[in-house]
Amino acid sequence: MGSLTGVLPLPGFGSKVAQKSRVDYQNTTEGALVQRAQAGDDAAFREIVDRYQNKVFSIIHGIVRQRNDVEDIAQQVFAKVYLSLRSFDFRSSLITWIYKITVNECFDYLRKRKVRKLVYESDMSEDEVRRVENSEPAVARQAPLDDTLARRDYVVKLLTRISEEERMLLMMKEVEGFSVEELAEKTGMNENTIKVKLFRARQKLVKAAQRLDRAPGLVTG
Amino acid sequence: MHVVVMESLEEYLSGTLNPESRRDIEAHLSICESCRQEVAGMQEISGLFSAMVPDEVIEPAPGFYARVMREVGSRRPVPTFAGLFGLDLAFARRLVFASLLLLAALGSYLVTRESEYPAGSSPEAVMAQQDSPQFENAPAHEAMLATLTTYEP
Repeated sequence: MGSLTGVLPLPGFGSKVAQKSRVDYQNTTEGALVQRAQAGDDAAFREIVDRYQNKVFSIIHGIVRQRNDVEDIAQQVFAKVYLSLRSFDFRSSLITWIYKITVNECFDYLRKRKVRKLVYESDMSEDEVRRVENSEPAVARQAPLDDTLARRDYVVKLLTRISEEERMLLMMKEVEGFSVEELAEKTGMNENTIKVKLFRARQKLVKAAQRLDRAPGLVTG
Repeated sequence: MHVVVMESLEEYLSGTLNPESRRDIEAHLSICESCRQEVAGMQEISGLFSAMVPDEVIEPAPGFYARVMREVGSRRPVPTFAGLFGLDLAFARRLVFASLLLLAALGSYLVTRESEYPAGSSPEAVMAQQDSPQFENAPAHEAMLATLTTYEP
């Protein structure tokens, strides 16, 4: 297997750079909206929420699949957006920044849920754990049998093995369907960097999958 | 992975590669076992992502914005002493540290000065004053005794 660094100097691979600079984005209508919100204009922030709430709900639902928790997580996402909007530096587009916060919030939620479950189960005897599992709704017990849910669980498990940035890029590429060129434009990175980051992320996922497949019971659990 | 595959990997995986480049990659994959295996693994994982595309649309319930602002209110940081002066925490910490250093330096300077004071004049200089007219009083006598008893050569 060749190393990626050997590829980088090749002409034509990654010679394109991101089309929009930070200054360009600041001068767009959305840039002006963000600047107003950064200055404390609540109407501008409300417009941001209205503009992106459906997208945020969709991302969360795709990752956590718990209908009841989608709105709670979305509230936390927008609260975070509100409180850290001043640190938004226009290097990427606003939706890319919100996308990253949303994905991180979802994985944080899944991690906390797993910890809660482990703590809860560690306080119970084996009989109690079995009784609770049997008393869970039929839908929940059938979930692992559902192919889509099992595949989603598996991908989520793999995605916990890579960095936040790699996770965001892969999801924007694979779930949202953005091309490398579009990703470069949205993130402010050049196409070469995007390709390298995606390649490394995919390599890590393949390795993580090999490790998971060797551990029985982890794939669908 | 070899250059011919890696260069257009993203387009190949998403099926947007032009037919000519696609043929080049597939020709290479037919003769390179390691690239074939790696690309197959990546293709398999890429296919799993479709499970993350939501199958239904969930829209926010009415009053979502108000609930977001309530969440913002509950998360707002408690005002700090540094915050009152519009300082960020890191800068305030540095300021406190610098002030403490200055106080320590000032303190050690004052202590050094005080410890130097009793050493004052030497016994020879004090004894020489004995003959002067100003020496004929009680305070001058006491000062001389104090100097002689505390003197450290």
